[in-house]
Amino acid sequence: MSSKHYQHLNDEALLEFYHSTRNLAAFRHLYTRYKDSLYRYCAQMNFTCTNRVLEELWTNLLEHPPVLQGRLLRSWLFIRINKLLRRHLEEPAEAGTGRPEHQQQGEPLLEAIQQLPRSQRNILLLHMECRLPLATIADIEGISLKRCRDQYHQGKEQLREILHGPRRQPWRIVEVTV
Amino acid sequence: MSVWESQYRQAASQLVSPEHLDERIMQQARQYKPAPRTNRLASGAAGSFAAVAVMVLLIHPAQYLGALTPGGTQNSGPNPLENWQPQPSSVGVQRDQWFGLRSEVRAGNYVSLCDHWRREQRGITDSPLPRDLARKARQHCRLLPKP
Repeated sequence: MSSKHYQHLNDEALLEFYHSTRNLAAFRHLYTRYKDSLYRYCAQMNFTCTNRVLEELWTNLLEHPPVLQGRLLRSWLFIRINKLLRRHLEEPAEAGTGRPEHQQQGEPLLEAIQQLPRSQRNILLLHMECRLPLATIADIEGISLKRCRDQYHQGKEQLREILHGPRRQPWRIVEVTV
Repeated sequence: MSVWESQYRQAASQLVSPEHLDERIMQQARQYKPAPRTNRLASGAAGSFAAVAVMVLLIHPAQYLGALTPGGTQNSGPNPLENWQPQPSSVGVQRDQWFGLRSEVRAGNYVSLCDHWRREQRGITDSPLPRDLARKARQHCRLLPKP
């Protein structure tokens, strides 16, 4: 089966095919689909342990094939990486700069995302970068859907404030007495 | 896609997975070899077992118990030659010697019958009448006085 054929397979079918055949080309195709997205998410959540977390995630996938039970592989991957990130967050931080490349290069939007609280940043990234629905994100965060939606809008509002300053207030006429 | 998302994607496009990480993960993936395909028909072990089984079936003495074991014919039932009979074509057609006399009796002519019966009664003839003709003769013939 050539790489042309893999393009027609969805993620779940490709994963199943890989685990039944251990075909390296199939894995490469699957890896290429998700590697950048996972890296971006991971680097913006915790840059210091990005490589370790990603390695652990893919090693798990290679060793023990996930039992999806009708779920999407995309959801499984991001739920899993979220758990790994939380676990690494509890460990003591490693020595190093800890600054992602985009901060060093001075990308204002990405720098602004880094200033958000962890929970809001996670919700924003899971929705914008990982394209997960808010209901799934609420499950990952362990909060209600309404609260998740509120946090998402708050995060966006906060980003806007960081980038463009507070909303313009209406003119107030102050009476000056001489 | 909202304006926020498109701005984010544009900004984040510079962040890509580093090559050394990709290489390390692909190296791990290379360690997992494809499972060998076990074709039952073509596998060596199954083939040799099948060959041995066929040889045993062909060489096993049970194949020839009826043919080669000594005294095997004693228990093989009755001899077919015992009930042998010649072919029906070889048996000659014998003519009934009473055919003519019976035809006369059936036609109502008892002269020859009575004549033969009297001779039998006198002990002249060697061939006694068959049972049916003798009964007819007793019914229709009189014993005449001896000449």
